Amino acid sequence: MIKVDPALCIGCLACSNVCPSKNIVRDDTIEKRTISWKKCGEECDLCVEFCPARALTLVAESEETSIVFELVACRICGARYATEPMLRRIEGSLPEALQKDSSGLAWIWICPICRRNIEAERATREMVLGRSRKSP
Amino acid sequence: MSKSLVPSVCPYCAAGCGFYITVEKDKATGIEYMLDHPASEGALCSKGNAALEIIYSEDRLRHPQVRKGEGWAKLSWDEALDLVARRLSRIIEQSGPESVGFLSSSKCTNEENYLVQKMARCLGSPNVDNCARLCHAPTVVGLNMTVGAAAMTNPIPDLANSRCIFIIGSNLAENHPILSRWIHRAKDAGAVVIVADPRLTHTAWLADIFLQIKPGTDVALLNGMAHVVVSEGLTNGEFISKRTRGYSDFAESLRDYAPQKASEITGVPAGDIVRAARAYAISPASSIVYSMGITQHSTGTSNVVAISNLALITGHIGRPGAGIFPLRGQNNVQGACDMGALAEFYPGYRRAEDHETLELFSLAWGTAGLPAGPGLTSTEMMDAALEGKIRALYIVGEDPANSDSHSNRIRDALESLEFLAVQDIFPTATAQLADVVLPAAAWAEKEGTFTSTERRVQWTNRAVSPPGEARSDLEIICSLAAKLGLGQQFTYPDAASVLSEINRLVAAYAGITRERVGSCGLVWPCPHGQHPGTPILHAQGFKFEDGRGYLVPVKYQPAAEEVSWEYPLLLTTGRVAVHHNAGSMTRRSPSLMEREPELFVEINPDDAVKLSIANGDEVTVESARGRTAAKARLTERVKTGVVFMPFHFPGTNLLTTDARDPHAKIPQFNVAACRIARRD
Amino acid sequence: MPVYVDISRCIGCRSCEVACQRVHEGWSHVNVHYAGYHAAVPVFCHHCQEATCAKACYTSALYKDGERTAFAVDKCTGCGLCRLACPFGVVWTDKLAHKCDLCSPRETPTCILTCPANALTTDYESASRRARARAAMMVAHGGRR
Repeated sequence: MIKVDPALCIGCLACSNVCPSKNIVRDDTIEKRTISWKKCGEECDLCVEFCPARALTLVAESEETSIVFELVACRICGARYATEPMLRRIEGSLPEALQKDSSGLAWIWICPICRRNIEAERATREMVLGRSRKSP
Repeated sequence: MSKSLVPSVCPYCAAGCGFYITVEKDKATGIEYMLDHPASEGALCSKGNAALEIIYSEDRLRHPQVRKGEGWAKLSWDEALDLVARRLSRIIEQSGPESVGFLSSSKCTNEENYLVQKMARCLGSPNVDNCARLCHAPTVVGLNMTVGAAAMTNPIPDLANSRCIFIIGSNLAENHPILSRWIHRAKDAGAVVIVADPRLTHTAWLADIFLQIKPGTDVALLNGMAHVVVSEGLTNGEFISKRTRGYSDFAESLRDYAPQKASEITGVPAGDIVRAARAYAISPASSIVYSMGITQHSTGTSNVVAISNLALITGHIGRPGAGIFPLRGQNNVQGACDMGALAEFYPGYRRAEDHETLELFSLAWGTAGLPAGPGLTSTEMMDAALEGKIRALYIVGEDPANSDSHSNRIRDALESLEFLAVQDIFPTATAQLADVVLPAAAWAEKEGTFTSTERRVQWTNRAVSPPGEARSDLEIICSLAAKLGLGQQFTYPDAASVLSEINRLVAAYAGITRERVGSCGLVWPCPHGQHPGTPILHAQGFKFEDGRGYLVPVKYQPAAEEVSWEYPLLLTTGRVAVHHNAGSMTRRSPSLMEREPELFVEINPDDAVKLSIANGDEVTVESARGRTAAKARLTERVKTGVVFMPFHFPGTNLLTTDARDPHAKIPQFNVAACRIARRD
Repeated sequence: MPVYVDISRCIGCRSCEVACQRVHEGWSHVNVHYAGYHAAVPVFCHHCQEATCAKACYTSALYKDGERTAFAVDKCTGCGLCRLACPFGVVWTDKLAHKCDLCSPRETPTCILTCPANALTTDYESASRRARARAAMMVAHGGRR
């Protein structure tokens, strides 16, 4: 049986991906992610090994558990794109120099699509300015 | 496992890019770029990259079939060809060979086009045409008249040598993308780019001067520019006196086209017209690049002649960096025209009404009774079908039900035929209306030559076998011709043997033999076996008696349809980068469809707000001829009063008008009056 | 060394997207963005020196290999952390992660070979020289061109 430490689980996709027997089920709706750990025959310990937060252990007896995560809304477009613990972990994994960067860590709280758009807009700003000026 | 790289020529546009198809065990598994290709340097646009998706599409026609009730019944090749031959022969017997028409395919090889027109004419029918009628017919008519040859005058890479590139009625950034690499090189060297278009297209991004012109007013703009050139003394006097005729009448005709007047008609500020004219005239080598925005009008031929006039009075033709660049559409539309699959020409642009032409080909083909032209053009064949004068059509690789304007009328025309046979690779809308459908091989499944827009004749190789029972168009035509009693004239073991016959009969192709066409092709005219080909036309004079080109005055005439209170918006049509023409191939390519999945209409936000239309709304677009649904895209790239729809999806041509250019018979695809309402 | 884009040359034809998709079995690692109707630019992996995606990856599936940010698919657990760690949003996760791999082991990335407008290059020197020349021209022309 799989035992989860809810204080450690970050709500990522690893364990549900690696389990070969579909004992771990992940259900994403627009606003929430629910991960459920079902009865497990303990044939392997892939989930334990590959959990980034070391939140899983295998025990003899345990209840089937599930955890529900609110998906964080992008600060720009409002799309739900990640769990909060995952984003906090990203923050923590950045090198110190970047953490103190003047542009800050605000980009973490924006979804990947908006990040691409911002990057594209930054890159094309001068080009757009030059091409949209009326003739002199 | 052996992997071979088969050199191929892209089946999409006329840029003629080459690439290698990777073949393993008779399957096309990938594409490798041809880095030494003279026009593309190995580059390949999104359509070319997706080309292999055609080959294995589920939709490929695999068996000959005949209409049976609401569905189809499979036939063997023998049965199918017998049936077609029988039906055609009977109709010819009853109402003469003029009652059947043939549409050859600008996607088929030169050899196949040559055979289709040969078959039609050997049967006595003068009615053979190809989709150039819908595309560059005004170029064929107009440039043949003014400069003696209807083709791009300089090679594609030569654009890098131009110091002023004037792009009018062409969205080459999306439709002939590889041209942009050469234009960028010209710009890096200081060239000025002028773009004239009703929309701020991707091509307009290259422009130093952008002329946002009202659709259908090109003659006014071009005459306005010519007026500036003449009145400011920017003409090339030496060139005019040595190499043209008709200058004084022409200059006189420009009186009414002062920049202010031209500005009133076109909506382009007079100052911009003046600047563009000066830049074009003063630069040491200038090019004019044009395409459908010029040709697909009821004044298409006049538009082309106006371009030619501008190039002639400034002497910007016949040398590096200076020329006229009509950008042809289909991969082999240039070739289809060169091979005489046209109502008014036999192979090599010999006029169909000339006695010498008929004599020459009678001798060459061993037949008497070749019909004198001109025959009916493809647009006229549809008229004739409705009148009962054309009773049967044989259509190869074309989809008039989607590509012609005024789709409802075309559908009626095709349905009114007694017999319709379609030879194609996919069950297009036209094939759905046929009595007999014959499955043909796609480009990678057969061999032969294609002629690109820069007159480069290239050999494309057979990489894989066709699916099911599909056969190459060459085989199909030869078999059909045999059933029609023409077996003697249609015994060709392979495409190369057809090419040898073409070498003997088409002077410009005389030196383009199978052995010489090799890996990067040859540019016509190539009059003999040691000739290296002719990249730049008209260097020594124009193909007329005294080498002089003609300056022909043209008057501005408003488009054949104008907006009204009932249809207050002006609809213009065109293309997008990831699709090609009527979409029979690109709409079956998943990687292209995911990028542009549906029909849309571009509306200026100011117009949209008055109609309560928001971005993404489903709307109905309606004209006097029909209506269609589309998704609204609000954008300021079109001016108020103008809307744009691509014609890659069925629906757009339900709206377009069949008003035609009187000389070239091309429909006016680019101006129609419409109204738009939100669908609730 | 990432692929550099000469934005003045990009014509928004999306050939890079389709080519990348073709050689990567259905996944494109390039996304062309349109800035209104005035410009387009393909956005893809910058192969950052301090690759945040590699820092977030706890199995070292993403790692720096010289200038390239490389990816060893057999170490990927599909956790999705890398997707959130990329400031430019150019790492995707489906069952597994994927991103621009500079088409290795091929010598030249496919997008560079296919770009009809010749807008992509790995040659930093020539790309920056052209960009500076163009910037100088824009300044001289008062911001136009």
